[in-house]
Amino acid sequence: MASSLDDASPPSIDAVTENNLQPFFVLQKGSLRKSERKSSGTGKTRRRIDLSPALPKNSENPEDEKEDENMNLRMEAFEFVWSKIKSTIKDVLRDINTSVFSEIQSWVHQTFDTIRSLGTPDFLEATQSFPVITDANSRKLFTGLVLTKNMEFVDDLMTFDALGKHLKSQGCHVANLSSLDFIAKNGIGGCLRSLLRQFLKSTLDPADISILASWYGEENYKNPVVVIVDDIERCCGSVLSDFILMLSEWVVKIPVILIMGVATTLDTQRNILPSNALQRLCPFEFTLGTPAERMDAVVEAVLVKPCSGFSIGHKVAVFMRNYFVSQDGTLTSFIRALKIACTQHFFVEPLSFILHEFVLEEENWVLEIGRYGLSPEVMWKHVFNLPSCQRVKMTKQTNESLAHAFSELKRLQNQWRAVVLCLYVTGKGEKVRLLDLFCEAIDPESYNKREFATCTKLEKDSILSPSSRQRPSLAKGRVIFEAIHLVRDLSTGQLGKLLKIWKNLTVGIPEINDKVKELQSLLKIEDGKSSKKDLIITPKRHASRIQLDNEKDSKSLSDKAANLLECMVRDYMQPIECIPFHEIFCFKNVDKLQLALIGDPRRRIQVDLLEFQKLLHCSCCISGSNALLPSMHDTSIMYKLAQEHGDLINLHDWYQSFKSVVLRPSSSKRKSRQSPLPKKRKDINETENQSEASTQARFCRAVTELQITGLLRMPTKRRPDFAQRVAFGL
Amino acid sequence: MAKEEGLQVTRRTTRYSASNNAVEPTKPTEFYKPTLNDLGFRQQPLGFEDLLSCFPGRSTQVLELLRLLGPLNSPMFPVLVYGGPSTGKTSVTLQVFRHLNRPFVYSSCVTCYNPRILFESILNQLWFHRKNSGHSYSSVKRCERPSDFVNYLREASESVIDNLKGNSGKLSSKLSGQPNGTMVYLVFDNLERVRDWDKSSTILPFLFNLCDILKMPEVGLIFISSTSPDTYYLNIGYLEPIPLYFPDYTEDDLRQIFMANQVNRKLYTSFLDVVLRPFCRVTRRIDELSAAFSSLFKKYSEPLSDMEVAPNEDMKRRLFTHLRPHITTALNETFQVRSQPLLKAETNQETKKKNSSRMSGIREDFDKMDFHMSTSAKYLLISAFLASRNPATLDASLFDSTGVSDSRKRKRKASEKSMEQKKMAEQELLMKGPGTFPLERLLAIFQCITSLAEDSLDEEGSDELTIEGGSGGLMSDVLLQLSSLCNANFIIKGGSCPLEGSTRYRTAVSEDLALKVARSLKFPLSKYLYRR
Amino acid sequence: MGREKEKQNPSEKALNLLRTRLSNPNFIFKPLSDSPDSNYSKLKFIISSSVTEACNNSILLLGPRGSGKVAVLELVLGDLLQQYPEVISVIRLNGLLHSDDNCALKEIAQQLCVEHQLLFSKVASFDDNSQFMIAMLRECGLAHKTIIFVLNEFDYFAQGKQRLLYSLLDAMQSVTSQAVVIGVSCRLDVDQLLEKRVRSRFSHRKLLFLPPSKEDTERFMEHILSLPVDSSLPHNYTVEFNARLKKILSDERFKELINTYLSFNSTIGHLVRFLFQAVSYLDLDVGFLSLENFKTALSSMQRQPKLECIRDCSILELYLLVCMKRLEVKEQNSYNFNSVMTEYKSIHDSFQTSDYYARNVCLRAFEHLLQHQLISFADNRGHNQSVEFRPVKLLISLAELHQGLKSYRLCPMFYLDLIKIGFWILPLVQACKLHKIPAFDSFLVCYVNYYCCGASFLPLKMVKVAFSRQLS
Repeated sequence: MASSLDDASPPSIDAVTENNLQPFFVLQKGSLRKSERKSSGTGKTRRRIDLSPALPKNSENPEDEKEDENMNLRMEAFEFVWSKIKSTIKDVLRDINTSVFSEIQSWVHQTFDTIRSLGTPDFLEATQSFPVITDANSRKLFTGLVLTKNMEFVDDLMTFDALGKHLKSQGCHVANLSSLDFIAKNGIGGCLRSLLRQFLKSTLDPADISILASWYGEENYKNPVVVIVDDIERCCGSVLSDFILMLSEWVVKIPVILIMGVATTLDTQRNILPSNALQRLCPFEFTLGTPAERMDAVVEAVLVKPCSGFSIGHKVAVFMRNYFVSQDGTLTSFIRALKIACTQHFFVEPLSFILHEFVLEEENWVLEIGRYGLSPEVMWKHVFNLPSCQRVKMTKQTNESLAHAFSELKRLQNQWRAVVLCLYVTGKGEKVRLLDLFCEAIDPESYNKREFATCTKLEKDSILSPSSRQRPSLAKGRVIFEAIHLVRDLSTGQLGKLLKIWKNLTVGIPEINDKVKELQSLLKIEDGKSSKKDLIITPKRHASRIQLDNEKDSKSLSDKAANLLECMVRDYMQPIECIPFHEIFCFKNVDKLQLALIGDPRRRIQVDLLEFQKLLHCSCCISGSNALLPSMHDTSIMYKLAQEHGDLINLHDWYQSFKSVVLRPSSSKRKSRQSPLPKKRKDINETENQSEASTQARFCRAVTELQITGLLRMPTKRRPDFAQRVAFGL
Repeated sequence: MAKEEGLQVTRRTTRYSASNNAVEPTKPTEFYKPTLNDLGFRQQPLGFEDLLSCFPGRSTQVLELLRLLGPLNSPMFPVLVYGGPSTGKTSVTLQVFRHLNRPFVYSSCVTCYNPRILFESILNQLWFHRKNSGHSYSSVKRCERPSDFVNYLREASESVIDNLKGNSGKLSSKLSGQPNGTMVYLVFDNLERVRDWDKSSTILPFLFNLCDILKMPEVGLIFISSTSPDTYYLNIGYLEPIPLYFPDYTEDDLRQIFMANQVNRKLYTSFLDVVLRPFCRVTRRIDELSAAFSSLFKKYSEPLSDMEVAPNEDMKRRLFTHLRPHITTALNETFQVRSQPLLKAETNQETKKKNSSRMSGIREDFDKMDFHMSTSAKYLLISAFLASRNPATLDASLFDSTGVSDSRKRKRKASEKSMEQKKMAEQELLMKGPGTFPLERLLAIFQCITSLAEDSLDEEGSDELTIEGGSGGLMSDVLLQLSSLCNANFIIKGGSCPLEGSTRYRTAVSEDLALKVARSLKFPLSKYLYRR
Repeated sequence: MGREKEKQNPSEKALNLLRTRLSNPNFIFKPLSDSPDSNYSKLKFIISSSVTEACNNSILLLGPRGSGKVAVLELVLGDLLQQYPEVISVIRLNGLLHSDDNCALKEIAQQLCVEHQLLFSKVASFDDNSQFMIAMLRECGLAHKTIIFVLNEFDYFAQGKQRLLYSLLDAMQSVTSQAVVIGVSCRLDVDQLLEKRVRSRFSHRKLLFLPPSKEDTERFMEHILSLPVDSSLPHNYTVEFNARLKKILSDERFKELINTYLSFNSTIGHLVRFLFQAVSYLDLDVGFLSLENFKTALSSMQRQPKLECIRDCSILELYLLVCMKRLEVKEQNSYNFNSVMTEYKSIHDSFQTSDYYARNVCLRAFEHLLQHQLISFADNRGHNQSVEFRPVKLLISLAELHQGLKSYRLCPMFYLDLIKIGFWILPLVQACKLHKIPAFDSFLVCYVNYYCCGASFLPLKMVKVAFSRQLS
């Protein structure tokens, strides 16, 4: 998550660039930038870009310095907002891990005590060469297997660093090893060296574990030594097993405790390590929060709870959600997406600087235009041309109305938040993912046409068809419905708890709060009754019957609660996109985000090669016509020609066709010329074969380019005259 | 190996009193200067009876070793102590030296993982040199080549022996617990590791011929190896050292060893009666057995209120019936992972919730597969699995446009081949393991699968947004997915750069995992698997 | 501490004496040196002549390990050093240590410096050292001093580019130099390893070291084992000891015992090792050697490590071994863990054995076998592949396995049956192969399968009858 939180943190960046498909990765990065450039060429954003070149022309009018002053303001605002979001995310993630960390730390200490109980050697014994003789169990190496329930490892780099820091703060000696230290090339020397480097703060030429022993002796035996290996899947098995064997030889002298991050499953060890190394381990397992849980926490903190005024539109949300579920399940990329969205929003939206104030100021504030370099009339124009504002006829375009609108917006948002959180706490037990909930709750049209009858029906059949469950997208109102449905069969006790939470959540909004309160009072009465019943009939076997009628009347109650929730959803959950002026606060432009996030390099390259007119708007070749013209770009000609072949291309035919395409018009000209003047043939010939040479050169260059873009594979030794198309992704 | 901590404890306690006041002055500030005593065991020597008593089933080996070492100051031939792992080779040797209280230099080839470290550790000990921060943990001499080592070794051992001779004359040496005798013994432990240092070309012959090269009768050599002498094939012959064989413990030895220092002997005997025999059929290694027993005994004594009770017959029977299921599970388990109690409680609650929960797709997938994978990664994994299981020739028939039904037919045709051919094929599969495949094939299959999956989804007619988000995406950064699968060790790749297409990939996923993934995607994997 | 008393104990002193003798080659080879046609006298003649006549010379001492090449050479050199004290200087190299030319030359230069009280520079390069050596050779030649180069493990110098040998022998071509190069090796074909340019400069004088004759052996055993009368040992004890020793040596059982031992390793070195074992069994309380000592020594010398390994195996590991052996009998030439597991399963299905364990337990047992080196990987390829896919091969023969099973305590009988079928059928199948009878061959294989799937088993005699009928 670092790369998106603070861009100056190397490790996660390594983790990303260190994947072993370099070239494609590079390509994608390149194409990502490219795609952004292209996007500026197309679609609605075009306007803005056309404006900006226009600006220098009328540079004398005060517009533009106001413009860029405004831009500066926006940038400030962005800095402010993003830093806020960033800090929030950091806190959230830290809070998620704390419990596990403390657990691990307590485990480490008690393990340390057990090792000590096996025998504490004095300095001489610890530094002597031969082992301290105790029983076989004393050579067990205590190992904590930390399950990071995520195949992608990017998210957890920071986690293990944090774990290391936490343990250090608890007074352990900690070394963080990564899989890069366990390469077969360096052998065991590599990991020992880095171990010594981290403990002794110095590099020693023969990395020898006895050095560690004597160092530990000089530290005189107070604290446990913890070695954290963050991803064992990527370690070289033989080196790791050697390492384990060596440590287990010394475990009495140096109380080493191993902590290994397991990304996938527990039997990866069985696959990686041989049995003799395995049975030296004495493993315990710990579990970090699943990425889904973390995601919910982040969403709740950043998007649902009032953090920074910034929010995202429904389509954006759905896209990001799908990206998370189907692309790569890393929180890192999610946050990156969020950041991109934020940046672009501030970049595009001239009024977005208001967010700055919006966060700072409390209720009913008036924004005076003077401060924001923008001249009032421009501002007004912009503000009241916002589509959302068009929808609701706002008569008088004044400061007050605007301010009022803003406060109104705030109020609605708060209601919305309250309802969403209520739904969330309701569904939490049954693992309703807040992300899904959020995506539904923010959906404007489902809000506009929300009758529950239809919704329920739709829900029913969506339940029937199972494949819709694992569908990344969600049928309308499904999660919400489930949440409500859950309320219906809650026991009284649970209902009571739930209501209490609701009350706390809806404090800000009196009208809901009252309803909740009265429901609670009803519940109290119920409780009174049931408790009386219990007093009357104590014996267990009647309990069931009591349960039954308790069920009955609690049923009615929970129905009430459900109805309350329904009406809450119906009336108070107004997504931000249905509120005037929301454009200022909310980012809605999906496809730009998509372009930025999913570069989809291969398809894009091929598309660009096939219809290149879109890119270079050249007059020479008529766009749209599929005829190959010599004026086209060589590479694209080649690629179009390649389309005709199978995945094996005979270079000679290819060259011939290419040549024919390139030389066509000249040849026709030549024909016309040839018959009258035969004596010119000589220089024609040499022009011909020099053009021949140049053609070959162009051909070669084009082929190379195709190869570099990874669309073509050069001829192998086996079949020297065939090139192979690496054709997929389109 | 598993047994002498009983008297270890007593010794240790005595040593505390001795050592603590010894340790207090040796603060990191002024460093410990080793003396001649450090070549000895530095503990009061073990009596002969204790020596024998703390190694049940090893008396013959102990006696033999004593004989080979011979009386005081008598030269010896090099000895090779060998036997299976955890048969007490090292501890017997060390305790014998402790009993004789003679100077020796121990170095394990596991700890000293290359020649240089081995040489230097030996020299350090002979020159009474301890690494410490004073001289930045450097060793006394830098020594990499065997020739240097021999010269230094001669020098060092001569000095040591003169030293020994010097104070063996004085009577005071007896009192001050100094190692006696004028011989110094070099002990090389874990010799089998040396074989794969440099393909055993130079170092191993060198070590075996060391005594001929050194020509010093005052230096005795003892090699300890976990593999028998015939596994040291050398291209040059060598006068092989005198073998001393440590057989694996017999069942009775094991019983004695496990009985050592048990609190409730009666209970433990009954436990062993139940457990020992079946386990001995699987393995007779102390370490593996003790790992299994320690947890089993807890189970065994669970129903008991007080651990002191001496079990009578029917109690034994009850305990046995209580234990039996655990025995079978433990027999078939090599590596059990314990988890913290409080954590366990939580997980139990989790499971309860799961049982109660009756809803909603994706989440349950998270539950089913115990780690998170993105959808496209799952599809990629499945396609990789298919690619490495199915013969490449069948791809066309399995994934052609007409779809699965047709492929089924073809599969039946394939399965109607003659018997022994099929057997051969299965043999092939067993031998080769998962086949390798080029990147293109993987991606082709991936595309087929995803397209199938998507049009199956399109029937539900959900909003186009998710489709473009999903499907366009699924294909888009598939290569990054591939890389992360490689990192997670699900796909093993050889070769370097996919642009040359030289790489071929192979899946390492077990079938059940693949099936699990497929289930979580509702993907009919079995339909696409050849011969299943 | 009763050690003072032990010091007085004569038997312990005797033991010490014997052990010291055994570990001192000079003493051992003394008696063999006196006869005129012994290697000792030949070698001595050659070297001394080349010293006196101030000429260059080169010899190879060849013979199996432990045949006393170095020892005899040392004896000779010792004597010569006494005869011509300041004329000779000896440079000793060992192939194991100085196989690469650079450090060999360094070593030479160092020893020369030590010999002639020059100071040696560590930083000297290869060329410096070689020039220094050549210069020294010339100087010594002028001073009529002979330098004797002893190259132990000569074959190690012969591998590689042989620059050392070349420069050495080339320097010796000059008239002024005066040096003797003595190569010691246990490879009889070592002079074939030399390059042409080296071989042409090498005089092919060889001394072969043969195992001692019987009477030599006896003489020398007596020489070693009998205690000296003129020593601090009590006289009567010595006499007693020697008398008993004579009795043993003359004993027939002892003789054939020695013969059995010498039949499989006959060099003096081995004999010494054997005697050391025997002596180390000397009972200090009795204080005299007995025949038993020699017997036990012999038994401890003749080990069969593979059988020991088999005895160490657990039942499960044996099971796996049997499975592999059966696979071999079925002529499945290459197999890995998976195919073994299928065999294991099939046996279990047919016989319902008691010990059928989970796959990972079997894998652990499999790895134990690998560690014991009862089996090994067939090839070094495919390291990245996991263990269960790499093909393995058995390192023990069928007979060994059978014997091991028989000697194994509490080994279930039916393993023996399982193996027996292989035990009988395998030679048959091979014989058939010999006689090119594919029909019967395949019949036998089917027959093996037939038996393997647990059906009732017709006696092997019938098979053999069928077999012989097939042959005729």
